[in-house]
Amino acid sequence: MDFDFTDDQESLRDAVRRWVDKAFGFERRHGLAKAGGHTRAVWGELADLGLAGLVVPEAHGGMGFGAVEAMVVAEELGRGIVNAPYAAAALMAPVLLTEAPAAVQAEWLPAMASGEALVVPALHERASRHRWQRVAVRATPAGTGWVLDGAKCVVPAGDEADAFIVSARHAGGDDAEAGLGLFLVKRADARVVGYATQDGARAADLHLAATPAVLLHAEGAATLARAIDVGSAAVCAEGVGLMDRLVGITVEYMNTRKQFGTTLASFQALRHRIADVKMHLELGRSMSFYATLKLGEPAPQRQRAVAQARVQLGHSLRFVGQQCIQLHGGIGCTDEYVASHCFKRLTMLEMTLGDTLHHLGEVSARMQDTAGVFA
Amino acid sequence: MDLNFTPEELAFRHEVRDWVHQNLPADIAHKVRHALRLSKEDHQRWARILGAKGWLGWGWAKQFGGPGWNGVQKHLFEEELALACAPRVVPFGPVMVAPVIMAFGTPEQQQRFLPGIASGEVWWSQGYSEPGSGSDLASLKCRAERKGDTYVVNGQKTWTTLGQYGDWIFCLVRTSTEGKPQTGISFLLIDMKSPGITVRPIILMDGEHEVNEVWFDNVVVPADNLIGEENKGWTYAKHLLAHERTNIADVNRAKRELERLKRIAKAEGVYDDVRFRDQIALLEVDIVALEMLVLRVLSAEKAGKQSLDIAGLLKIRGSEIQQRYSELMMQAAGPLARAHIFEAMEAGWQGDLAFPGSILPLAGTFFNMRKTTIYGGSNEVQRNIVAQTVLGS
Repeated sequence: MDFDFTDDQESLRDAVRRWVDKAFGFERRHGLAKAGGHTRAVWGELADLGLAGLVVPEAHGGMGFGAVEAMVVAEELGRGIVNAPYAAAALMAPVLLTEAPAAVQAEWLPAMASGEALVVPALHERASRHRWQRVAVRATPAGTGWVLDGAKCVVPAGDEADAFIVSARHAGGDDAEAGLGLFLVKRADARVVGYATQDGARAADLHLAATPAVLLHAEGAATLARAIDVGSAAVCAEGVGLMDRLVGITVEYMNTRKQFGTTLASFQALRHRIADVKMHLELGRSMSFYATLKLGEPAPQRQRAVAQARVQLGHSLRFVGQQCIQLHGGIGCTDEYVASHCFKRLTMLEMTLGDTLHHLGEVSARMQDTAGVFA
Repeated sequence: MDLNFTPEELAFRHEVRDWVHQNLPADIAHKVRHALRLSKEDHQRWARILGAKGWLGWGWAKQFGGPGWNGVQKHLFEEELALACAPRVVPFGPVMVAPVIMAFGTPEQQQRFLPGIASGEVWWSQGYSEPGSGSDLASLKCRAERKGDTYVVNGQKTWTTLGQYGDWIFCLVRTSTEGKPQTGISFLLIDMKSPGITVRPIILMDGEHEVNEVWFDNVVVPADNLIGEENKGWTYAKHLLAHERTNIADVNRAKRELERLKRIAKAEGVYDDVRFRDQIALLEVDIVALEMLVLRVLSAEKAGKQSLDIAGLLKIRGSEIQQRYSELMMQAAGPLARAHIFEAMEAGWQGDLAFPGSILPLAGTFFNMRKTTIYGGSNEVQRNIVAQTVLGS
């Protein structure tokens, strides 16, 4: 048991952090967000660092790294408030392709790893809320292929992507896991309506009407569940990096801002608040480690661990975000100050791939007689 | 990064598990499992069993007769004992005073005091708090005046846990009123059979006699019983506080009590009530998160790193969780929890009740647990310490 990073992992962290310091300062972040959240150029820069292909097998031109490296990168992108679809495109999409026919993998994975193709999962629907099993998009065989009908909402970086991996139902009732397939849809074949997101990124609705699609996996529920857990672990890690950044900014502010003739840091009410913020940050970091280190476990243990982590992170993201704004006072509420950007991103992360109440329900439903890190 | 214990650590866990399984008396485990009253004899019997195995001082280095375990081994040992429903070892001897004697005592003091602690023969108590000195411990007034080869002690200590059984007490006493309050404090070992000592019970709100007042009226203590240097006691006490930080989180007991909470909730029909069950789920998340925090601290210590700045969080979180599970158990019992039958805390009590007697200790345990966020440095004092670390100011 150890929670140390290898030298290679530390080098990876340094590389991402150097890029953030050099190329993704707050001015750029703010400018991109104001301009609508388009980040395809940023994606290209991340791909140049090798991050787009971080977990893509080396045989397909990726770096073939594992879950801990993915976590390290997510933490650093979180710290940088980078509004790129890292979890969706770099981590989840490759998982969703693992069961795809070899030819499809060979066609897409190298382009994804190089950043040439941006491929994102399109999973969420109007009625599904946080239940990924609730899929109304229909898949129908047509000739040698398939066509899809229905709509997906708030697809990450939707109008910047080149293709989508779409969950669609070819059999079974609304919430059934059986009959849930995974399909690849090219951007040009769908009607895509893009918009900004609250946290300064990009998303889109995907309208599918007899849209041609390539079947990746006819029974994709297990793969989908794994991809969502991988994405959830990345949400945790990104949140930890963001919280780290925001807490650092807040501590600095408390030590410099003066009211009543003395620094904010001298008031016990605020000192206790920052102690509670630290508690939430470290519990969150602990559970982010936990989620990542449990990704390789069999599905029931993995899902339980990830849900537990998301509950803790949900509480942490909310508490740290809200209290750090409060500790700043009025300046924390302004658009031009970095803290509000951290806060909005933290708030949106909490609602990504299942919110806290959803995950609490998962923990509750999966409870066993014994519990604990090794249960 | 690796969440798994090594094969050696797992083998160690099984060795401890097997031993506890064979040596923990069933009647004592029964009392712990059902939160029944433990007698002095219960505590001592278990302490002597551990002592005979050389495990009562489980945190001790080999040179002092301990097993010389690392932090992970200590954690595994504590976990196995907790999960097997062993009583918490009364910490004042083996966990609290012994490390101070090892670090700052003379070889003669070590030879004199450590064997009795290691074997479980000598019961130690702690004399820190005073009526006027709670969180502000350094303001303590209990006075020790040097007279020749002795100190004469006058004053009062309070909240002395299980002091009614104490053979010896380690005290912080004031030996100087000059300079800062912290610089005039000494660390003194006092035989509780000395003339002039009076121990009076304080009954806590659960009706139990757990803590005491200890009065010192011209108590003569040989100067040989001073640990280290006069007026340096505060430093030694801080060493003691720093010594056992993962243990204070008591996450292993929390895991055991979570299992018990689920059993009670099932028996009382609220386990499948979503509103109640979600509260258990929240607690389960809190406990896993605390365990991960503990493991991170242990891992840092194992790697020989400066202990993480998160260690101060453990007491806060651990104590909050203890209160929470005791509260949920009481709530699970619902209106039945209102019944109060003092005798029901004794093992073997047979009452004529229309509901299980196992309900009866729940409210008392909840009341008792209010102490956890107050003792050992109140959680507000702990927050002051955490804030100091975070803010650096």
